[in-house]
Amino acid sequence: MTKTIEEDLIEQQEDTQKGRFLTFPLGHESYGIEIRYVTEIIGIQPITQVPELPEYIKGIINLRGKIIPVMDARIRFRKPFMEYNDRTCVIVIDVNEVSIGLIVDSVSEVISIPDEDIVPTPSLQQLNNRYIKGIGKIGNEVKLLLDCEKILNEDEYNELTNLA
Amino acid sequence: MTVDNTGESLLDLFIFETSQNIEQLEQIILQNEKTSQMSAEAINEIFRIMHTIKGSAAMMMFDNISTVAHRAEDLFDFIRKHIEDYIDYSDVPDLVLECLDFIRNELDKIKSGGTANGDGSDITAMVSQYLSQIKEISEQGSTGSQGEDAMTATLSVPASKVNSSLGGGEAYRAKVLFEEGCQMESLRAFDIINRLAAFASVVSCFPDDIMDNDDSAAVIREKGFEVVFKTNREYEKLNRFFAETIFLRSIELEILEANEYKMIITAQADKANAAALAQDSGGKEQTKGDSYKNQTPAPDNHNNAVATIINVNVAKLDKLMDLVGELVISEAMVIENPDLNGLELNNFDKATRQLHKITMELQDIVMSVRMVPLADVFQKMHRVVRDMSKKLDKEVRLEIIGEETEADKNIITHLSDPLMHLVRNSLDHGIESTAERLNSKKPKVGTITLEARNAGNDVLIIVKDDGEGLNKQKILAKAKENGLLKKDSSEMTDKEIYSLIFLPGFSTNEKITEYSGRGVGMDVVTKNISEVGGSVSIDSKEKIGTTITIKIPLTLAIVDGMNVRVGESTYTIPTISIKESFKPRKEDLVVDPDGNEMIMVRGQCYAINRLHQCFQVETAIKDFEQGIFVMAEQYEKTVCIFVDDLIGQQQVVVKALPAYIKNNHNVNGLSGCTLLGDGSISLILDVGWFVGSDLGA
Amino acid sequence: MSRVLIVDDAAFMRMAIRKVLEKNGFEIVAEAENGEVGIEKYLQYKPDIVTMDITMPEMSGIESLKQIKKYDANAKVVIVSAMGQEVLVREAIMSGAKSFIVKPYKEDHIIQTLNSVVASG
Repeated sequence: MTKTIEEDLIEQQEDTQKGRFLTFPLGHESYGIEIRYVTEIIGIQPITQVPELPEYIKGIINLRGKIIPVMDARIRFRKPFMEYNDRTCVIVIDVNEVSIGLIVDSVSEVISIPDEDIVPTPSLQQLNNRYIKGIGKIGNEVKLLLDCEKILNEDEYNELTNLA
Repeated sequence: MTVDNTGESLLDLFIFETSQNIEQLEQIILQNEKTSQMSAEAINEIFRIMHTIKGSAAMMMFDNISTVAHRAEDLFDFIRKHIEDYIDYSDVPDLVLECLDFIRNELDKIKSGGTANGDGSDITAMVSQYLSQIKEISEQGSTGSQGEDAMTATLSVPASKVNSSLGGGEAYRAKVLFEEGCQMESLRAFDIINRLAAFASVVSCFPDDIMDNDDSAAVIREKGFEVVFKTNREYEKLNRFFAETIFLRSIELEILEANEYKMIITAQADKANAAALAQDSGGKEQTKGDSYKNQTPAPDNHNNAVATIINVNVAKLDKLMDLVGELVISEAMVIENPDLNGLELNNFDKATRQLHKITMELQDIVMSVRMVPLADVFQKMHRVVRDMSKKLDKEVRLEIIGEETEADKNIITHLSDPLMHLVRNSLDHGIESTAERLNSKKPKVGTITLEARNAGNDVLIIVKDDGEGLNKQKILAKAKENGLLKKDSSEMTDKEIYSLIFLPGFSTNEKITEYSGRGVGMDVVTKNISEVGGSVSIDSKEKIGTTITIKIPLTLAIVDGMNVRVGESTYTIPTISIKESFKPRKEDLVVDPDGNEMIMVRGQCYAINRLHQCFQVETAIKDFEQGIFVMAEQYEKTVCIFVDDLIGQQQVVVKALPAYIKNNHNVNGLSGCTLLGDGSISLILDVGWFVGSDLGA
Repeated sequence: MSRVLIVDDAAFMRMAIRKVLEKNGFEIVAEAENGEVGIEKYLQYKPDIVTMDITMPEMSGIESLKQIKKYDANAKVVIVSAMGQEVLVREAIMSGAKSFIVKPYKEDHIIQTLNSVVASG
């Protein structure tokens, strides 16, 4: 059947959000997340631990009644862990109705990176590349653009497809 | 990625209604199969439902569904018009069920977002073939009954319409052309005549067989429709009358000369005489199926009941439940607010008590809204029993007791598959063949009983058969073979032995039938049931039968829980699983050679689970005497969980663990989480895992 | 704006007709799921025009049409039928239906028919 007006609008909104990235620093690098996946950015909150989860999943938080798991970006991307402070933020991303919060040191800004300025990552064997969709160039700076879908999926991609 | 703000779409409604119609149809067929002749009400109902499905499907452009329904409708149209002819309709139920299955299949595809691309031509052909067969039989067998609608009125105009009082005035001939594609031209022509007859005397028309002959529509399309009439009305008014015709392309209205008019009148008179002669000799037959009035089905109680019920989108109900849950939490946050500590607030207290009362009532009602009777799930089993008993050539009847018992809608959706499997199993392995039954002096027809009843906070669903029962030896042997025997068989109770069949990888069947025997059936049942917090138990008596009892909680959404603390974390244990809590005495604590810690309580020995170890939580309390034990039980097994402290009992709203965690990791021991009054999160323990697991970490 | 009463036992059909009519400036004042309720609603809401399905349980469209006409000889009822129901449509016309629509209908057909019926005296 034909699209409803709402569907049309949402698609339009998404289109205007394409190519816009929320950036945040981590260690020496600067990362970017497509803004269309970001639902909100909040300060760090009390985290409830959940047993038997990988180290990078710190636990769950209560976001106005919704329970969201939080993942420490440093640990996930194999950087040395740092204690949380006032500036620590949680970027809440939503991919296909699955939400998680990404704990980062701080957030920078939202910038536009046109497609021409994004180059694919060289296929090295390093683990980190798995989560990087591409490398964006802004001036003489470089942003590592995260692949949100990969972040939300485990290495064992099979698990997810089996459950779907 | 659809935005569902507006609620139901036309497609949703189509799917919902058509599904309901199919279920209803299936029920009618199954019920009527038991009697050898289908009742007139049933036939009419089936006809009407197929007619509806045909129409809706055509609107939604699901032509394959529409065609199948159309053919079935044709079949039942024939049947209802020949209800007095004795025709053997024993093949009809199977035919209709095949049509239903096809439509259901297509609906499933549509529901999951796919395309309804099934090819219904085979089924349509089958029905057509059957229809022509019975038509032949009917024509041979009976005398003088009509095939299709036999219109008695030949007519240019029914005699009643010729009103002599309108005989005066001028004679006119009107030629009407309809717009292309407007369809049903003969009916439109008839409409004109009908309205014309109110103020004119209609003499003749061309084509004159618009009532009998469907092809007259084609003639009208080509040549137009002519009518000759006499009336007092003025020309202008007549023009306007014709101009009002819907889908009119053109109208030619001319006044007739006297002679021309006379000629037409004479010709008509001759025709009328000839027709009258024919009628007398031929014998008019008013078709039985002519007026729908004769066929109005007996009032359907089912429909009456439905009128007082409305259908609600389940998503809305879920949202409502969530909101009520948050209301309960917010209420707690207000009432237990630390700001109020130490204050004496009499009026405030009174008000909060009232608020609490209302909130609790609201919660109760919202929960009851989600409650749905088990009837639907049970009724589905009729079809299963019917199909399987046919295929296995066993005579089995299904008895249903207590189908009005209600449970949470979410839970019921998880029940359907397990129930189906259990019923199939009973049919396949429980009920013996007719010969065997007669040999053992059992009644020829086997009985499977589905019973549901309330038991406290739970609902019990019992699947009982009067078949050959379970064979302990066989079960033990198979368990041993598959390495599933953990205890010595002499130490096992009968029930424990029977329960072995629930273990994954178990199957006593030598051959794998289409329905069971792959060793993956029974454990799927237990898994599905435990997913909704329920349990399954089994009992049996050789040669007499087997009884399987499923226990499921009334509702998943709200649980009475005891909050406990370990270190900085809070956990909630469902009160229903708690037998008692206590502080241990040193002398009751025991350690076995393997290092497993256990505790003696009133002569019984129980395993200990150190929650802080199990979940790796930091706490200062490691010494048993400084903490407290909670004795928890499920599946008739018990464990003593060691925690720091008891915080308090409260009703908690269960929230599922976030999808990301559930999808990617196996979190053992937790069945969900909940928000406490202060906004913190408490994890809800899955007692079933605790009792089933090996000790500690 | 013309006020319409939709009578059809299939909720799906009622919604389908409603969508088309509302899009074209008609106001749906009520719906009924069988002929009997149709009569009640007619008396309660006195719509300008009624779309009446023929095949319904409890009371058929034709019965309902006849009853409504008894209460209000000027009632404008448009009968909705499927292909192949000519006999019934004929009876409906003889019982006072102003016009008819055949399912599956084209949008402009139903609108044109309703507009004509409303316009006629």
